[in-house]
Amino acid sequence: MASVNAQIKRGSAELAVLTLLAGQPLHGYEIAKQIEAQTGGVLRFDMASLYPMLHRLERKSWVRAEWQTLPNRRRRRCYRLTASGRKQIAPLRAQWRAFFQALQSVTGFQNA
Amino acid sequence: MPDWKQIVRRNLRVLAVCSPELTEELAGHLEDRYEALRCEGLPAEAAFQHTFGQIEGRCRVWLVIRFLQEDLMAGFIRKVALPGLLTSAAACFFYWALALDHIRPKVIWLVGGQLPLWWWCLLPICGALGALLSQRNSGSRLQRIAASLLPSAIMGSFILLIFVAGFTLSEMVNHYWWISARLESLGIVPPGFVVMPAAFSLLGAGIAEVSTRKFRRLA
Repeated sequence: MASVNAQIKRGSAELAVLTLLAGQPLHGYEIAKQIEAQTGGVLRFDMASLYPMLHRLERKSWVRAEWQTLPNRRRRRCYRLTASGRKQIAPLRAQWRAFFQALQSVTGFQNA
Repeated sequence: MPDWKQIVRRNLRVLAVCSPELTEELAGHLEDRYEALRCEGLPAEAAFQHTFGQIEGRCRVWLVIRFLQEDLMAGFIRKVALPGLLTSAAACFFYWALALDHIRPKVIWLVGGQLPLWWWCLLPICGALGALLSQRNSGSRLQRIAASLLPSAIMGSFILLIFVAGFTLSEMVNHYWWISARLESLGIVPPGFVVMPAAFSLLGAGIAEVSTRKFRRLA
């Protein structure tokens, strides 16, 4: 399986997380697990990249975090997309689409 | 099940990045990871090692660096740069005022160079000013420290630049006395204008921190 350069991964992480949270509120481990599962392991977040980013998104008010008690009585910090965060998804998608189209026109690869 | 909270607290206390909330959040992640590995059939020891690997060695360093970076850069202009620049201006003013009034009591240090002792004594005021201004703008502890140390950091970069340029020029003109003069001042200038001022500014920031905490407790 092809590995993805760390810089590209970092740039795409915000979009991936915001898109995922648009579906439902999730806590950190679930976010990492779902991204890994949905991308077939190509995108994999370790704690050092995931949590600082989640906290940054929270500071930007794109996500809101709240403690929830799970059925097994454990507390987890769940992240929920805010209205402001929802507004960011479309521009981010547009930027990435433009980037892939530009790359496609240069390299000639398909299915970007 | 290992006590992940305790493990996180112990492993990430190095730079005090872990607030109780963050400790709990990271411990929760590790708990889930550990349980998932156990469910996949890994023995307890292997699952522990695999999970612990996420906050150990290089991973731990990256985790701490990323959190510090995020902490430092959040509202950098308002919480670090502006208070830091005002601190620098205050430090420059003190230096200028002392020189203007011909107050030049200095200490002899290292290779016979003279260092501005009285200026150092005034620097805790500047450090405290930087820390308090940053605190006023809701700066974190790291940002308060950074604001009080910014003048020394600026001076350090400036001196480094001068030395690099100086050494390069010395090489070009190949004058022995140039190099020896640079080496001599290398022993005086960085300690006198970077290291000691940084220490005194930090002292001021520390005093400000303690006094504000005490004041808050009294209030």
